Amino acid sequence: MNKTVFIDEKRPHDSAIKHVSGLADYTDDINEPNGTLHGAIGWSKEAHALIKKIDLREVWKSEGVITVITTSDIPGRNDVGPVFNGDPIFPSKKVEFYGQPLFAVAATSTDLARRAVLKAKIIYKILKPIITIKEALKKKTFVLKGKTIQRGNPTNAILGSKNYLKGNFTTGSQEHFYLEGQVAFVIPKEDKDLLVYSSTQHPSETQQIISKMLNQKSNSVTVLVRRIGGGFGGKETNFLTSSICALLASKTNKPVKLRLDRDDDIIITGKRHDFYSDYEVGFNNVGIIEGLKIKLASRCGMSPDLSGAINERALLHIDNAYYLSNVQVQNYLCKTNTVSSTAFRGFGGNQGMMAIENIIDNIARYLEKDPAEVRKNNFYQKNNKNITHYGMKIEDNVIQEIFNKLIKKSNYKKRYLNVKKFNMNNKYLKKGIAITPVKFGISFTTIHLNQAGALVHIYTDGSIHLNHGGIEMGQGTNTKIAQLVANAFGLPYEKIKISSTNTSKVPNTSASAASSTTDLNGAAALNAVSKIKENLEKFVKKKYNIKNIKNVIYKKGVIRFNKKLFKFDSLIKEAYLNRVSLSSSGFYSTPKINFNKKTFLGRPFLYFCYGASVTEVTIDTLTGENIIDQVDILQDAGKAINPALELGQIEGGFVQGQGWLTMEEINWKPNGQITTFSPSTYKIPVASDIPKKFNVEIFKQGKNKENVVNKSKTTGEPPLMLAMSVFYAIKDAIASVGKYKVIPVLDAPATPEKILMSLNELKNRINYRNK
Amino acid sequence: MTSSIIKFILNEKIHEIHNPDPNETILNYIRLRLKKTGTKEGCAEGGCGACTIVIGELKNNNIIYKAINSCIAFTPSLEGKQLLVIEDLMLKNGSLHPVQSAMVNYHGSQCGFCTPGFVMSLFSMYKNNSSYDVRTIEEAISGNLCRCTGYRSIIDAAKSLDNNEPDQFKKNKRKIINLLKKIRPKSISINNQNKKYFAPRTVNELKKIIKKYPNLDFLSGGTDMSLIVTKQKKTLDNIIYLNSIDSLNYIKENNKYIEIGATTPLRKFELFIKKHYLDFNVILKRYGSVQIRNVATMAGNIATASPIGDSLPLLLSLDASVVIESFDKKNILPLNNFFISYRKTKLKKGQFISSIRIPKYKKNIFKAYKISKRIDDDISSVCASFNLAIVNKKIKSIKIAYGGMAPIPKRAIYCEKMLLNSNFSENIILKAQKSLEKDFQPIDDMRASKNYRMEIAKNLLLKCFTEIKKNKLIRLNY
Repeated sequence: MNKTVFIDEKRPHDSAIKHVSGLADYTDDINEPNGTLHGAIGWSKEAHALIKKIDLREVWKSEGVITVITTSDIPGRNDVGPVFNGDPIFPSKKVEFYGQPLFAVAATSTDLARRAVLKAKIIYKILKPIITIKEALKKKTFVLKGKTIQRGNPTNAILGSKNYLKGNFTTGSQEHFYLEGQVAFVIPKEDKDLLVYSSTQHPSETQQIISKMLNQKSNSVTVLVRRIGGGFGGKETNFLTSSICALLASKTNKPVKLRLDRDDDIIITGKRHDFYSDYEVGFNNVGIIEGLKIKLASRCGMSPDLSGAINERALLHIDNAYYLSNVQVQNYLCKTNTVSSTAFRGFGGNQGMMAIENIIDNIARYLEKDPAEVRKNNFYQKNNKNITHYGMKIEDNVIQEIFNKLIKKSNYKKRYLNVKKFNMNNKYLKKGIAITPVKFGISFTTIHLNQAGALVHIYTDGSIHLNHGGIEMGQGTNTKIAQLVANAFGLPYEKIKISSTNTSKVPNTSASAASSTTDLNGAAALNAVSKIKENLEKFVKKKYNIKNIKNVIYKKGVIRFNKKLFKFDSLIKEAYLNRVSLSSSGFYSTPKINFNKKTFLGRPFLYFCYGASVTEVTIDTLTGENIIDQVDILQDAGKAINPALELGQIEGGFVQGQGWLTMEEINWKPNGQITTFSPSTYKIPVASDIPKKFNVEIFKQGKNKENVVNKSKTTGEPPLMLAMSVFYAIKDAIASVGKYKVIPVLDAPATPEKILMSLNELKNRINYRNK
Repeated sequence: MTSSIIKFILNEKIHEIHNPDPNETILNYIRLRLKKTGTKEGCAEGGCGACTIVIGELKNNNIIYKAINSCIAFTPSLEGKQLLVIEDLMLKNGSLHPVQSAMVNYHGSQCGFCTPGFVMSLFSMYKNNSSYDVRTIEEAISGNLCRCTGYRSIIDAAKSLDNNEPDQFKKNKRKIINLLKKIRPKSISINNQNKKYFAPRTVNELKKIIKKYPNLDFLSGGTDMSLIVTKQKKTLDNIIYLNSIDSLNYIKENNKYIEIGATTPLRKFELFIKKHYLDFNVILKRYGSVQIRNVATMAGNIATASPIGDSLPLLLSLDASVVIESFDKKNILPLNNFFISYRKTKLKKGQFISSIRIPKYKKNIFKAYKISKRIDDDISSVCASFNLAIVNKKIKSIKIAYGGMAPIPKRAIYCEKMLLNSNFSENIILKAQKSLEKDFQPIDDMRASKNYRMEIAKNLLLKCFTEIKKNKLIRLNY
């Protein structure tokens, strides 16, 4: 990579033309060979019960049914848990959540398969389910042991502080609602080999889990993924669909497609962890936190899945952008009879950050100060107060610059006053405004996952085939990595052909997750490029006897060795004829990072992403309805490879976060039945919900201090947390009803109902005081 | 003359389906039989828009393009129409339609799965409008969910459109009109593996069919009923389709009332009603999506009798009545007496709603409010409607109705009594609010708790009266 010139090229997503014309193939669109069968899953109607009897006679008899599989059909490992056991494909004795798969059928059509599974008769012995975090805390049921981490002496610090607050706070669950639901298509090949197409963020683990299930070697299973219709974490460890599909294909020796109906998808697959926190905080008169004790409990569902890592990330982000001198965090990973909670953009970080933002907001309201000032007072500093509670020195801090710039750019101070003025003049409609910062750590906190591979071929006509371990799920990683490769070879983008992610081309990949897909796979691709370049250069230097050359320059289809120029295509042909290898794998592993999970100390992150957002809202105090009047965002994307795609990630992440914190609400009945499992009962934002004014800017001074491709910074997860300002703007509007003298109690999501209830509670407290 | 062959235009050619399965959705037909996979299934209930297609209908020698959800429409409803799917927008030489180009240029797609649906919704907007303000755009795509982009880029793509440049559909319009004329819809009668389906063309035919088969299920827009097939996985064995009867698709008015034919789509009614009852228009625009309202009808809304059907409390407060017909009788019933219990009405087997009459109140104040978690395309927690006349600062007539507060949409009789002949004092409003507790005992569900429902029901009453008193709307500016 040229050290001074960076790629900064807006270009459409590599599949944009195919997207808009219906020509982009997703798993369900792949042409089916004759005789393809279609699957459906039969699942538990109880959340916690012993299975007395599964009577499938009517299912077998149902029209079009070719086979039915149950737990006894699994030759190998009956578990899809990625890290720990606990996620049986079909449990044999006990069901642990409403929606847990119990059996599956393959039939001649999807419709017939789905009709067939409804005919099962299952007799349960019902056990009492544990559904909520509070029940689990009371009964002490956990999926994994919690951690206590501490710095300094928070108990003493709180005792010594001038001011003290305590309280609790909840953030809600969230359904991924990727538009393409879970789907897999498995084609049996010779030697019991399986070709698996799956809508997954993690092809390598899909391969391993299917192999283990079938008692076969990994080399007998190949997983292919061209693109997926959204993932957001919901396709990181959901291996049930592909495993069941593979089992059906293996048993019938026929191609089988398994596509979940949307209702089944929401019922069967995991969601975001909801979190409950209890805190005590001591602070001085300018709102600087002197001591903090916080308990973080999350609903993990019936199995560990990724809950360990997710809760760890919550601990690692309990500081957001704030220096916490004396802090203790204890966490509780609650086991409940609900579907196992799983990865979702933010991965626990967002839940931790919301907890601290709520505390800071309450401190500001207690001191009757502008929360923006209290936030600033607590920020990490550059030269002191720059060590996190897990012992990592922050070397790339730009939060002050971003925050101050955004305050100016958004005219925050004036609008803050205008909001107060508006509220004095309006009885029922109230406005609120808030600015919140984001600091988000980048890298998998499980260190060994920070590796990636790629494969680059140059064909004799000079065209380039690019393959890497990342999954294209809308984020544009294929486009950006192709831009990197094109730039490295000095070729037009069109010369690069991006191909399906394929476990037989790049093995042992990590999930496309943790915001690091382009960082890792892009670097691996560049590594492959540099190896091919090495071959080429060695050949040219020898053949043309070129010495004393520092840089070979690849530009505009020409390769320059000092004064000697070669056209790229001709040199490739020449190299081929001279038996030079024009293909290479590439590899990358993230440097510098280390983390001791026992002491909770180290450097878990290569770098941090920073951003900030200002939101202004109006609420209707008679109904709790609300609208977002304006949002201003400033986000650090480093030297963005493709600013157009980054902008899309920032806006999309924000709106997804807005949904999480306002309208998206999952409901479980006390018996564990989920009641929000379709777009008619679970509402994600639509076009009219987005901010009426939506000003999004990439921080122009941004540049990654670390050696990341193009000195860019990821925009995968961080923008989700920009939506925190929506929540605190709503809280600000509620506070206006108490003349900013009373701290509102508001949990997320701030639905119209929660807003109205918060207003009522606030008014009741004021009335009580006045009595 | 009846036919069992469904004829429609596809790719500028007449296409026939012989005796189709009347339970097969258009989406499955497109994906599984035509093997065109650009149209996606996202939810199979008309809630996400990934399956959006556009239907061309001949009207007054012109083509009207309607975006609909193909996942909840059955294939026989294609009879006599033009079917446009995403693959039809690109020209044969590979060049993109202006809507597609705009989506590419403004980075309106990320994962791309929802994109064909957005393109089709925007395409119908593009064809039916000449300018595109933000609210028109938001409305056009209110039935399309995208989880990646955050919509700004899609809205900007839509804003950039300009339909003065003729697209290929404008150029080929004559040809398509002629083809559509050739396949003017016939009466359809299908019997496929014991599944019967009738689509009569006239009321007389309809009456003959119901005389012969009194147990048929009436299908109108099917936005509710089709879920029996797509979600419950049951079959609809005996369907009589009403939307094929053109003579029931009308809006008439005289001095006293407005009459709406049973099969008038909500979309058509919402545009008409604006000049009479503005809030009716405001509520309908937030009711379902354009795709839903293009096929859903007023009569369907009434016959479904859902406690959360948004047009119902409005019609109740306006004291609308329904015209009910059977093969030999016709009578008029006040809507207020029409709903019996949860999803049960006075409609008997063999009876159908032929029209709805809405009285005109020239001097009354009419207000309606809908409260839901999401503003567009969401089901109400509570929908409230107020119709009152004030003479000399006294309430001389008042009708109040609520949806979402009882097993049926219902008038607030006690509350009305409390307010009738009273003046506007705060004291009376407080009492009237309290009396709503006598009128309603709402329930808890995933949309709202009973306490919240009761509280907003009361607050909407207060809001209505405050708006009247101050002569100013207290509304969020969406």
